[in-house]
Formats: sequence, C-alpha cells, structure tokens
Amino acid sequence: MEYLINVAILACIYAVLALGLNLVVGFTGLLSVAQASFYGLGAYATAILLTRFGMNFFLALLIGVAIAAVFALLIGLVLSKFKDDYYALASLGFNVIVYTAFLNLQNITRGPLGIPGIARPTLFGFHFTGNLSFLILSLVAVAIAYLVAQFVARSSFGRALKAIREDEPALRVFGYRTLHFKLAVFVIGAALAALAGALFATYITFVDPSSFTINESIFLLAVIILGGLANLRGSILGAVSLIVLPEILRFVGFPTEVAAQMRQAIYGALLVILMLYRPQGLMGEYKL
Amino acid sequence: MSIVPQLVANSIIAGAMYTLIALGFTLTFATAKFFNLAHGAFATVGGYITYSLLVQAGLSPWIAIPVGIVAAGAVAFIVHHTVFAPLRKRHSSNMVLLVASLGAYTVLQAVIAMIWTSEFKSLPLKTAERSIEFLGGIITRTQLFALIAALLIAAALIIFLKFTRAGRAITAIGDDEEVARVVGINTNRMMALVFVIGGVVAGVSGIFTGYDTGIEPGVGMPLLLKGVIAAIIGGVGNIYGAVLGAFLLAVVENFGIWKIAAEWKDAIAFGLLILFLLFRPRGILQK
Repeated sequence: MEYLINVAILACIYAVLALGLNLVVGFTGLLSVAQASFYGLGAYATAILLTRFGMNFFLALLIGVAIAAVFALLIGLVLSKFKDDYYALASLGFNVIVYTAFLNLQNITRGPLGIPGIARPTLFGFHFTGNLSFLILSLVAVAIAYLVAQFVARSSFGRALKAIREDEPALRVFGYRTLHFKLAVFVIGAALAALAGALFATYITFVDPSSFTINESIFLLAVIILGGLANLRGSILGAVSLIVLPEILRFVGFPTEVAAQMRQAIYGALLVILMLYRPQGLMGEYKL
Repeated sequence: MSIVPQLVANSIIAGAMYTLIALGFTLTFATAKFFNLAHGAFATVGGYITYSLLVQAGLSPWIAIPVGIVAAGAVAFIVHHTVFAPLRKRHSSNMVLLVASLGAYTVLQAVIAMIWTSEFKSLPLKTAERSIEFLGGIITRTQLFALIAALLIAAALIIFLKFTRAGRAITAIGDDEEVARVVGINTNRMMALVFVIGGVVAGVSGIFTGYDTGIEPGVGMPLLLKGVIAAIIGGVGNIYGAVLGAFLLAVVENFGIWKIAAEWKDAIAFGLLILFLLFRPRGILQK
C-alpha cells in the first residue's frame, strides 16, 4: 500500500509538470526543453527557505513559484526570439546553464551534496508527514494545475495561443502582441513546474542537481507527447503511464539497474514510434 | 611559467575533438535539414565496439578501431533506414524529426548501458601514453592524433563534396531536394550515404574520446551538444564553419575557465550559443 502511494505521489508530481509543459509545447507550439530547470528552481527555493529560514511550506511554495516565474520571464524574453528547432536548442541551453548553477553555486545550493532534511509541509498545525496525507496534498496540486491549465486553454487567451502555434505572423497582423502571449504562457508553465518542484523537495525531503538535468526535460517532453499535445487529460495519462511503467518492469523481475535502462529504452522507442505513426500522441490534438 | 601556452594547446585539442563530432552533424544538417541528436549515440557506439574488441576480444587496435568505425556507420545507416527515411518520405516537420532523433538517441544509450553497464570505461593504449611539447604546452600523443585526424577528415569531406560525383549530388540535395530529384539524383540513396558518412566520422570521434577521457553510455549527448554549438556558431551546414566554430568554442571555453572556475565550462558554451543565436543566428560563415 505504502508503495502504491509512493508511485501515485510521483505520478501526481509529473502530472503537474506535464500540464505546465503542455501549455507551452502543445498549445503554443514552443518546443521547450527547459521545464526541468523551473522544476529545480521551485524545488531548491522551497528547500532553502524551509531548511535555512524555517519558513512555512505554503509561503515558501509561493516564493518558489514567484522566483521560477521571474526566471521564466527573463529566459522567455530571450527564447521568444527563436522558433521551432532553434527554440528547442536554446531552451536546452538554458536548462544546462541552470543545472550548472545548481551544481556550482555551492554556498546557496551546496552543489552536488544536495540539501537534506527538508521538512514535510504543515498547514494550521496539521503535518503532512504521512504519505497518505501527502498524496492528498499532491492530488490537490494536480487539481489546481489542471484547473489553471484548463482555464488558460479555454479562455480567449488560450485561443490566441493556439493561433500563435498555427500562424504567428497572421496573428500579429491582427494586432496581437504575440510576445506577451508567449511570455505569459511560458511563465505559467514555469510556475506549475515550480509547484511540482516544491512538492518533490518536501516529499523526498532531499534535493540535489541530478534531478534537474536535460534528461529530465526530455523525459517530460516524452510524457506530454505520449499523452497527447494540447490535451490536458493526455498529460495526466502520459505522466501516469511513464511513471508506472518502470514499476511494472521491476515487478516482472528485472533488477533495478536494468529496469531503469528498460524504461529509457521504452520511452525512447515510444517517442520514435509516435513520431512515425501518431505524431500528435495518444490523445493529442496537435501534430508537431 | 605562463599558463597561456598550455591554454592555447588545450584549446586546439578541444577544438579538434569538437570538430570531429561537429563535422558529421553539420553534414547531416546540410543535406537533411534537421538537428539529428541521435548523432551523439553513433559516437558512443563506435567507442564501445572498439572497447569490446580491444579489451574483451583482445584484438589489435588495427582491427578494433576500423571495426568500431564501421559499426558506428552501420548503426547510423540502420537508424536512417528505419526512422528518418520513412519520416522524410511523409514530409514530417523538423520538430518531428528532432524528437524522433531524440527518441532514437535515448534507445541507443539505454541499449548500450544494458550491454556494457553504466560504468566508466577507458580504451587501453598498447604502449604508455607519451607527452609531447606542442606550442609551448603539453599534450598527449592521442590528442595529437585526434588533431591530425580532425583536420584530415575535414579536408577529405571538403574534397569529397566538391570534387566527386556523389559529393556534388549531396550538395545539390542540400541546395534543393526537389530539383535534385528532378535531375535524376537518387536522393534516398544519397541521404543514406550522408548518414553513413556522418556515423563513421562520429565513430572516429567516439573512439578518440574513449582513448582521451574514457566513455560511459551517456557520453554521447554532452559530446554532441558541443558539436552542435560548434556547428551553429560556425554556420550550420557548412564544413568550414564546423571547423571554425569548433576552434572558436574551444578557445572561448578554455580561456573562459582561466578566469571562471572550470565547472562553468558547459554554461560558458551554451552562453556562447545563445549569444550567437541572438546576434548572429546563422553563425560566422553565414550562407
């Protein structure tokens, strides 16, 4: 049971990350490979505020989200100059830079040693120390992320995003300042990633740079493409399937090391097969 | 003693390593017009096959190295045949090809890790490594060979593209694939040839990496990313550009870490890339 709860919490964290990323990649057509950097910013901000300043989790979470949003605004300003594959490459570059900063700003992040001993969240005297209560908190986070994403997707703002994806110059002709739209959605995506980061840091109670590499960003891309671009339920489906998959492999009896590699191989193969036969993913509404 | 000569020597050696990986990547881009991230895995394949033949089978480097190179070319051919050729036939977008290449890379890396484990492996030298004085700095004999190989391969590619029938056909496809097909060039076959050449050069790069610093299954991506940066800042799709970009990147990195800690090397490299993309997106030698 405890084990199932653990898998469910991880699936929730990835669902939040995927929902944020899908707004950027699926709805707006910006192929971002930088989601893990905002995930990391949220996780580190929460970890540092909790361990060094003993701040309340929910306050730390808000500050973490704000920090990630500010970084996303700055990075998004640069990225908005690029399109398609160059966008992907430049965002990947930012992910590497942020990761390098986690690794080397040792007086802030403790570098490769990581930050241990992060407390579980508390709210009005209630401690989310048990995994079941943490699962409930994670489900609430997924619900919030889903509602935010759905609100964005269904609003006129969301329709403008889809129009940017289909034909940005045309939208500009109609007088839309597409830069503002692209920045706004990038910031929202990053804020959701930071929310997931705060959950991750307090769930594992430890953060180190290795959780926020470009491989993580690529994995997240696989999650949303598998589930379906521009489909929010697809993102949750993608997160759940790609988190549960390696657990099944472990059950079948593969050793952990091999199971981890099998997971890589399977999600890599899924990306290839999807690109070949279903570039919009399982439930997707948009083809890359 | 001044540190500058050693920094110059280090820059030249790093430039040679980056050239090796950038050449194949840029050639693929020049013809197929997409970022092939699976290219990094071709290098890893070359390194590991050579490792197995040298260490596990105890063969001589004269056999192990060529077989490793051919294996890298063969894997490139297979990936092209099963993934990229069908996608190109369907006129998939660049992004689809990019994501598919990322998928292919992930599969290859995982398979390599399953066969050879994630442990770090070095290709063994037959005789002890020798240091050579080079422009006032110290380099190893392996590094000197890498420099010579990089320059020779770049020259060979330039001659091949300019003066042979196949090379000119490949250039023509890069200029306009439709027209090339209309004038009777077998574009599918030429494209396969491009991937095989790219894979072979990547294999060479992987083997030198194995001798110089050692390899692990994930080494292909960081190696390739340096090649990608080199290719783009030099002018992607341009062989001269790849060489120029590789050496510029190496100089900026090595002199950058003179003032900043060495751990920031990757951040410096990507910072350079982003600066170029912002202010000179087509690189030094723009078409």
